Amino acid sequence: MAKISQISGKRNGYFGALALVSILLGLYWGLVQAPPDAYQGEVQRIMYLHIPSILTAYLSFFLVFVGSCLYLWKREKRDDILAYSAAEIGVLFTALTIIEGSIWGKPTWGVWWTWDARLTLTAILLLIFAGYLMLRSLTEEENRGASSAAVLGIIGFLDIPLIHMSVYWWRTLHQPPSILRPDKAPWENIAWPLLTPLLLNLAAFLLLYFYLLSLRFRLGEVNEEIKALKLSRDF
Amino acid sequence: MGAWYFVFLAYGIVWSAILIYWLTLKRRLARAETELAELCASSEPQANAKT
Repeated sequence: MAKISQISGKRNGYFGALALVSILLGLYWGLVQAPPDAYQGEVQRIMYLHIPSILTAYLSFFLVFVGSCLYLWKREKRDDILAYSAAEIGVLFTALTIIEGSIWGKPTWGVWWTWDARLTLTAILLLIFAGYLMLRSLTEEENRGASSAAVLGIIGFLDIPLIHMSVYWWRTLHQPPSILRPDKAPWENIAWPLLTPLLLNLAAFLLLYFYLLSLRFRLGEVNEEIKALKLSRDF
Repeated sequence: MGAWYFVFLAYGIVWSAILIYWLTLKRRLARAETELAELCASSEPQANAKT
């Protein structure tokens, strides 16, 4: 077991190093290499964090959705660990998205926060998954807690299509999507000097995400092994 | 407040939060792995005694 842990630790180390290199590259491109936006000026550089953060959070909650569905269907602990791990990291990236958006909103819109449909739905997404984490930590009966959280994870994920479509369905202050547009490819919508740092930062965030997820998943597995060992000792 | 103030504020908060989360996660994992190793080590003599 020590050998497996050593191999997995080494692989995670390489993955972490790759994530770090891509983060440094993304930072350089976003802060130094990219030109300022013609209308927003330097503040637009916050978008190199804001868009990758929310797309990473979407991916994370999609994994919560997949893990939760599989857990309710097959009752395998691995699926529950995946959902729990993804939810924890998803909450971090959603909170960061809201903070970045708020800092960008102050010089651009003149306010830190407004009850715009997209902003409000994103805040609701954060509250749902913060509730998911609280449910996991407060429920004493573990299997029941996992099942209840799986249902909440599935319901919570349904908020993401609403967030994405909110800018089309309601009159919002938030602009329409720049990357995930149904009518235009990203390179038709954003000039390459601005799209390059965005894509680099997106790649960096995704690498970082999978690195953090592998660590968090391993933590979940180790905790399960500890519980199983303690249970077998009690008997 | 200049535009760069907001840019550095956003970048500072984001990367500090991610760094803190990563350090916390590493510490939680190291603690759990130590506990598991101790449990395995202490359960091996018991298993040997039973056999």
